[in-house]
Amino acid sequence: MMGLPLGFASPLVLLGLLSLPVLWWLLRLIPPRPRRIEFPPTRLLFDIKPKEDTPSRTPWWLTLLRLTLATLVILAAAGPLWNPPTATTTGATAIALLIDDGFSAAASWDARVRTADDLIARAEADNRGIALISLGEAGRDISLQTPAAARVALNRMKPKPHAIERVDALPGIVRLLTATPNMEIIWLSDGVDLGRGSEFVEGLAKAVEGRPVSVVAGGLPTAHALAAADNAAGALTVKVLRATTAGTEQGLIRALDLKGLPLGESRFAFKDGEREADAELNLPVEIRNDIARVEIPAEKSAGTVQLLDKRWRRRTVGIVTGATAETAQPLLASTFYLGRALNPFADVRLAEPGAPAEAVRRFIEQNVPMIILADVGNVAGEARDRLSAWVDGGGMLVRFAGPRLAGSDDDLVPVKLRRGGRILGGSLSWDQPQQLTAFSREGPFGSMPVPNDVTVTRQVLAEPEAGLIDRTWATLADGTPLVTAVKRGKGMIVLFHVTADTRWSDLPLSGAFVDMLRRIAALSASSAAAENSDNPTAREMVPPTRLLDGFGAFGPPPPTARPVAAGYAARATSDHPPGFYGPPDGLLAVNTLAPADRLVTLDYSKLNARLAAYQVGEPLDLRGPVFLAALGLLALDAIVVFFLAGGFAQLFRGRPRRAAAAVLALVAAGGLLMAATQASAQQRPPQQQRATTTPPADQSADAFAMRATLDTRLAYVATGDAEADNVSRAGLQSLTVFLAQRTALEAGEPVALDIARDELSFFPLIYWPVVPGAAKPSPQALARIDAYMKQGGTVLFDTRDAIMAPPGPGGEARAPGMVALRTILSSLDIPELEPVPRDHVLTKTFFLLKDFPGRFNYGQLWVEATQTAKDDEDESKRPARAGDGVSSIIITSNDFAGAWATRGDGQALLPMVPGEPRQREFAFRAGVNIVMYTLTGNYKADQVHVPALLERLGQ
Amino acid sequence: MAVDRPGGRDEIKATRRATEGARALAAVMPRLILESRRIAATVIHGLHGRRRAGSGENFWQFRRYVSGEEARRIDWRRSARGDELYVREKEWEAAHTVWIWPDRSPSMKFSSRTALESKLERTLVISLALAEVLVDAGERVGVPGLMRPTGSRAVIDRMADAITHDPNERASLPQGFAPAPLAEIVVISDLWSPVEEIRTTLSQLSANGAHGHLVQIVDPAEETFPYSGRVEFIEPEGAGEITVGRAENWRPDYEARLARHRAEIRAVTDKLGWSFIIHRTDRQPNELLLALHVRIGEGNAAVALARGTAGRPRRSA
Repeated sequence: MMGLPLGFASPLVLLGLLSLPVLWWLLRLIPPRPRRIEFPPTRLLFDIKPKEDTPSRTPWWLTLLRLTLATLVILAAAGPLWNPPTATTTGATAIALLIDDGFSAAASWDARVRTADDLIARAEADNRGIALISLGEAGRDISLQTPAAARVALNRMKPKPHAIERVDALPGIVRLLTATPNMEIIWLSDGVDLGRGSEFVEGLAKAVEGRPVSVVAGGLPTAHALAAADNAAGALTVKVLRATTAGTEQGLIRALDLKGLPLGESRFAFKDGEREADAELNLPVEIRNDIARVEIPAEKSAGTVQLLDKRWRRRTVGIVTGATAETAQPLLASTFYLGRALNPFADVRLAEPGAPAEAVRRFIEQNVPMIILADVGNVAGEARDRLSAWVDGGGMLVRFAGPRLAGSDDDLVPVKLRRGGRILGGSLSWDQPQQLTAFSREGPFGSMPVPNDVTVTRQVLAEPEAGLIDRTWATLADGTPLVTAVKRGKGMIVLFHVTADTRWSDLPLSGAFVDMLRRIAALSASSAAAENSDNPTAREMVPPTRLLDGFGAFGPPPPTARPVAAGYAARATSDHPPGFYGPPDGLLAVNTLAPADRLVTLDYSKLNARLAAYQVGEPLDLRGPVFLAALGLLALDAIVVFFLAGGFAQLFRGRPRRAAAAVLALVAAGGLLMAATQASAQQRPPQQQRATTTPPADQSADAFAMRATLDTRLAYVATGDAEADNVSRAGLQSLTVFLAQRTALEAGEPVALDIARDELSFFPLIYWPVVPGAAKPSPQALARIDAYMKQGGTVLFDTRDAIMAPPGPGGEARAPGMVALRTILSSLDIPELEPVPRDHVLTKTFFLLKDFPGRFNYGQLWVEATQTAKDDEDESKRPARAGDGVSSIIITSNDFAGAWATRGDGQALLPMVPGEPRQREFAFRAGVNIVMYTLTGNYKADQVHVPALLERLGQ
Repeated sequence: MAVDRPGGRDEIKATRRATEGARALAAVMPRLILESRRIAATVIHGLHGRRRAGSGENFWQFRRYVSGEEARRIDWRRSARGDELYVREKEWEAAHTVWIWPDRSPSMKFSSRTALESKLERTLVISLALAEVLVDAGERVGVPGLMRPTGSRAVIDRMADAITHDPNERASLPQGFAPAPLAEIVVISDLWSPVEEIRTTLSQLSANGAHGHLVQIVDPAEETFPYSGRVEFIEPEGAGEITVGRAENWRPDYEARLARHRAEIRAVTDKLGWSFIIHRTDRQPNELLLALHVRIGEGNAAVALARGTAGRPRRSA
């Protein structure tokens, strides 16, 4: 009954199990039916003298099967019940129903209430009175009630979010028991002992005096609790507790921020025999600092919630040192002492070697809440302003004195310092090394014991002034301050008047150093902390803000909740339920369990009680399933007998063919399936082969890329018009030759481009002859052109129609080539254009040119308008306008390629239109200038200043 | 179609399968020349079985009229061509005939797991193949009570046809049949009938002086008796059943009883001058066919096995 929630309606029927041995004997005796075999020479057997045959026995497994069948029938007849209702003594005595309603009961509260409800229902049927006693509410008056009233009270009960102290309820119970001598006591326990459980059990045992006692415990999932969350260096650890030691268990904890958003999850695992397990949340420290609540999501109880406030927050501390030589002896450096002292409670970030100003700037960018400047003199310039602003915004700046600080002027100190330091106990001084003698009671060190192992040999001195005493946190024996601090804005500046290493004092070697830094770090990163720091010892009371109910959900504080002291760290009580207290920006977490609490199994042995388990589900009549199982076994038995008698042989006799055919069909079907899958598998390789045949395309692309990039090459757009393409190629070839003759550029063969397909970015300049009536490039091709131009390429559009332009102003724009160009450009993002100004860098990049003739010389050359064109007067005086970058688009109508193009024998391919021989030379020069312009950019624009610069240098 | 017929579906199927099997089997057998042992004694038969010997054809079909014979036997058409009188010899009466008896009784359908095929199938294969071989060699083959002797090339088809359409009850042994004196008879059966019955049948068959071969087809299970445990054995032809408590204990007795049964049969065959062959269905059928081939041909062994070398058959003196 204790192990399995199984009971029987009529247990007497189970006596039928005694008949099993007889049944077994009988079954062993009866032989199975013989096999029947047709045997032609049977007539020979007739002549053989029959033998003394002992009957062959039933096989043991068949006997077992039949015995099982018989057992099942008997069990079913006994009326098995799953989850039998909790038994009570039947009688007319009243019932005292004790209910554990602490946090550990919350997770399985429904089951407990159901059990209690069931008990009340039966008490109602038997007409018994009930005293409902909530062990978590000691003060409530206990009296006998009618079951109906008890049920109402039961439904009103809620689990408490805190740990209950059962002993407190003991006097009330004793009173009740003395008043009603005839009583049955039922205790719905949660089985968790938080220390004084045995005391209660003893007290109750004394009060019971032989009355019947039942304890309902177990049968429900074990209650867990979280305690002792610790934001350690590597991870946030939390202890998971349980009351039992038996069994291995696994579970999940989840970390949430203040808004309830999950931040991370982790697993915990109990080994057999363990009462506590550790769970680790490995998260970056910034995220860990946001954790406000750690919970076991599978268990809804206040005990499985661990609330974290800023005391658990892990600070990041940036350390900047002014010393440059410290790396020589790193174990004596101030950074080493500071790092060691801070490591237990903060993440230390050391500045990269370099200027302190740079390190400070970086730390501020990283939003570090606390920066330590170890003997940094002046923080100069912009960094000082930023540091000051950072302190005003809530930063905690801790400075250590040193030779540099002593020799510098700085306003980022809490008190005015005298120049130079003070040496105590030196050869030229009368003073002895001073001891640290007092911590200011106002400061954060107020509650610390004053260490007697700190002596100071050198210090920087504060100018005595009015507010010095208020700003002093620690003083030496002669009253000079050792630590001073001042609030500035939302932040704070703290100054240690000694170094962070052991040159000036042995403070860094003292244990007090760690405590001091810890308290300073605790003040950082929160303005509330800064406020508190004004009078932190004043132990103010903070009111409840959001409290947990018994199920671990946040809710408004109940009227009974009272404020807690600011440093409250003990176990939650009914006066101080767990939850967040205080203002929203300075929340104080009160947890159900104190860090040192451990759950222990409650020991009921002193009570001499009848133990029962909670019923998890409704009572389930198992008769049907058991009978079904028996029926199944019966069918199995029939099949076995049939089989033993050679039934199958008879079944298939005469048609082995058919059976074979069926088997064959099955095999064939399977084979077909296999073949199909294999076929589909085999169909795949061709695709893969196709995939591997694509590399040739890639290879050709690679070859194209190599060809295009190993030499600088001019490129032209293949328009599809054979004549235009020939002229373009011949023209660019001639230009390439011309460039090689006149300039340093020895370009490779020109390349014809398919703008829809070829990679464009290899070419600095693309010559694009516009063919009237040609189809507009596809949007994808235009997008590529657009990208090319945006990424710094230049396209030279040549409409080649200057001669066809109608006369008159604006006639050029109406020429057919221009119309075609406009349709192309309409889809591109084209900047503002202008005719090449006289002083444009294009006119000076190699040759000095006035205009840019091609085969025709009437056409205008258009380039991107330079931004400086409209600028003020002195700009216009400059010999060349730069324009930052190269025009991504150049438009002409002069048919450059036509002018450049030559046949193989060097003769010009096409006639020039006015016909002057120099025009072709100038066309080439225009081409050279354009190519140089695209290759060198505005370099020439700078070069034009050289004479002026030389002139100036000469003076 | 033939469920109501005595043979049943099994036999039809077995016949159909055996037809093909027998053809294949016969094709690989050496050609058999059967020289009648009686041939020397019967002048009237002339050269026998050599249809290829064209020169003697007229001669053995017509013979001189011997005075005293019935006048109606004279072939007047032939006799009118000369002075002599000729008698037309009735070929079918005179030819050497081999009767083959395949046992098709229900007990033949037995087939154990170790057997290659059922006894019935094996019997039919052997019978048909033997018939084919014999007809190839110029003999005439018949089935007692079922098919008249024939020398047709399509003997397998005709025999299979006759077996398939046999309306009679399937008996284990040929009954009420007495072949001609010069005929040979091959009885293929499982021979599980009582020895008395076998003896009676054989005596009857050889009453006219016919000569024969007795073949016992057995399933391996019928020799080794591989049963154990509690088994009820049933005689398939309705002779009764017997329940055996522990079959494995019966094996030695059964084997002894089987040996005695065979010894009795052998005694009968020896007395009648028959041969007795035992064949198990887990062996290859051509073993049996070769054995039969040898036995049937042993009357003139030299001729029988060397048809290819002997241009003309030697006439036994």
